[in-house]
Amino acid sequence: MMTRWGDIWSEFDRTFAWMDELRRQMDAAFDLPLSGGAFRLSSGVPRTNLFDNGSQLVLQADVPGLSEKDVQVTLDQGVLTVRGERRVEAPSGYATHRRERGTYTFTRSVALPCEVDPEKAKATVRDGVLTVTIEKAAHAQPKQITVHAS
Amino acid sequence: MSKDKSLARRSEQEIEKAETRRTMLPAVDVYENDEEILLLADVPGVDKSGVEVRFDRDTLSITAKREASQPGNLIAGEYAPADYARSFVVPQSIDADGIKAELDRGVLKVHLPKPAAARPRQITVTAG
Repeated sequence: MMTRWGDIWSEFDRTFAWMDELRRQMDAAFDLPLSGGAFRLSSGVPRTNLFDNGSQLVLQADVPGLSEKDVQVTLDQGVLTVRGERRVEAPSGYATHRRERGTYTFTRSVALPCEVDPEKAKATVRDGVLTVTIEKAAHAQPKQITVHAS
Repeated sequence: MSKDKSLARRSEQEIEKAETRRTMLPAVDVYENDEEILLLADVPGVDKSGVEVRFDRDTLSITAKREASQPGNLIAGEYAPADYARSFVVPQSIDADGIKAELDRGVLKVHLPKPAAARPRQITVTAG
């Protein structure tokens, strides 16, 4: 009988482990900005979008509070890497009531989907958004093919 | 009567939404010193013209509209542009006319000054 009870408890343990895992997955799925805002690990740090507008690839990432000098962008063998550091310090002489904006360092690498011209890449930070614009290599540019009447 | 009919018809010709905008809570820091309460909110992608700070009785609400940025077709995405909205109950009297807000590199700073009466005062002890 004792062993049976032991089995029941291990069954409980398994159920709770499963529930914990489920909750962890749900936390990851819902973008609740309560702990650290948009910068939860579930969506990557920082959140990044990659666009293709035909002749260029454009990467955008949210980097609130950072300026150009806080972000390093490198392009190596078709992999674009963005590095940065954000420090949030309480202003001197102030008591802290609430602290949600995180201090963090980040590194994100993106394998670019086509060949690019590394000479024609530029990065800007505006209103807390990093924008990296990279020109595609000449042979990766879309081509217009004229249809001729036969 | 005519009103009722138009309501019934509406479901059939409902205008399709071009975009469903989400609203998210920005991450916020709150600090306080003797002169003011200072609130900092991360609102990346927002222009000065899109920010609204309102103070009504004891509630401070901040809303910031993020313009959709679409420099091409999205090929890998982690977020859709969302507006920011959050409100706070400010538990003490605040000099509403003196509230100042500034936007710097995607961080909104709101200064809520305390009225002179609510500030701590240093009383000089004089010899009698």
